[in-house]
Amino acid sequence: MARKHIKVAQGMLFIWLMLAGLILLLSPQNITGKFGFAFARIFRWPLTIGRGISLARTYQLPEGTTTKTELENHLANLAQQLLQEHQRVEEFARLRVRFPLEGAALVPASVVTSLLDASRSELVINMGRDDGVEEHQFVLANNSIIGTVLRVEPRQARVRLLTDPASKIEARIENLKIYRVMYGTGANSAKIPNISRKHKITKGLRVFACTKPGFLDTPLIIGTVTKCVKDDEKPLLWDITVEPVCDIQTLTRVYTIAMNPPQELRL
Amino acid sequence: MRWLRFTVLVVVVAVLQAGFLDRIALTQLNIKPDLFLVLLVFFALYGLPKSKAAPAGGYRFDISPAIITSFVIGFAADIAVIGSAMGTRMLSFGIVGSLLAYLHRVIAARKMLYQAFVIFVAGLAAGLLHGFLTSLKGAAVLNFRLIACTALYSAILGPFLFLPCAWWMRIRTHQFRR
Repeated sequence: MARKHIKVAQGMLFIWLMLAGLILLLSPQNITGKFGFAFARIFRWPLTIGRGISLARTYQLPEGTTTKTELENHLANLAQQLLQEHQRVEEFARLRVRFPLEGAALVPASVVTSLLDASRSELVINMGRDDGVEEHQFVLANNSIIGTVLRVEPRQARVRLLTDPASKIEARIENLKIYRVMYGTGANSAKIPNISRKHKITKGLRVFACTKPGFLDTPLIIGTVTKCVKDDEKPLLWDITVEPVCDIQTLTRVYTIAMNPPQELRL
Repeated sequence: MRWLRFTVLVVVVAVLQAGFLDRIALTQLNIKPDLFLVLLVFFALYGLPKSKAAPAGGYRFDISPAIITSFVIGFAADIAVIGSAMGTRMLSFGIVGSLLAYLHRVIAARKMLYQAFVIFVAGLAAGLLHGFLTSLKGAAVLNFRLIACTALYSAILGPFLFLPCAWWMRIRTHQFRR
């Protein structure tokens, strides 16, 4: 039987495909985003292997490095929690308060793939809405905050890292009672703007993510000040660069913090 | 055009691009070669069967398969880069690929150096168009350095990938010599 050929003019073909592209472009992101998640779900196995190979080849961390970082971060978090508790005790000496993170759940997730370049810093993790992950939840790795959940699907989620140019997380520098919105730069760092030079800020100071009702009820370490110089454009202010306390590129396992989890997920 | 082989090739490239290229990423900007761009240029240059409506004694290329492959590769690139604004690469790759296929009827890129140049220029054009469309959606900031470096990296690597692509697609690249 002879094959039937459908002839379409080149110009018409081009216009039809352009229209299809425009429809995709103008469609809401929450609908079109499902394509990407479907791809990550279908090819999860090779993508995870590829990431594992890349990490094994690129990063040869000395043994014990992760543990040391984790313990240091844990110590910093405990110190902040203790400080917060002292303040609470001072303020409400007669009231019973709940211990931070009590009743919260940490949802463990594996990193399926990472999207790290100058324009975006995101992770795709293998836990989603069905597992208790919700949008805007904080994400923890090595006992430090690394970002927030950007979008959630039933079995997967996208995490916007603190270094992403679109990331905005309220943060506080250790020993300062000033809260500022820290924004990512895309180059594995973030900036804290609008801090006056009258404050003494030095390299190495720790930065904590501020509490956020419903998402985080205790400050947790988010990074350290790696550069603090005079702002060229605003000489009265500091230009503060913060880098994450864990190596985000090598992460394979992260935890999302669910402050109000269902009963079966509680700590 | 062998569409089944083309589909397999696009899927393999999507998985490689999404999961395996971090290994050869350069600098803190994480610059990786864009395999989709290489594929786009390959099909725009070599995915052109001779038209049946060719004039007597001569030949004319049918650019319809190149138009389809350009848009399909763009769509695959949109999907493989999870979380990116959908349709931006489909449109940018589609326009650049179609234009390239149209131009290839009059300009040939036979030597590797010319192929690299074509990949570089196509990378710049597609990158800028993609950046422009993405910024229209307010999804990301246009990063010229990243676009240029990605195009350059792809241009260096691309011509070497043409051979396995041609082998897999059973395309004889010498038929395009002028």
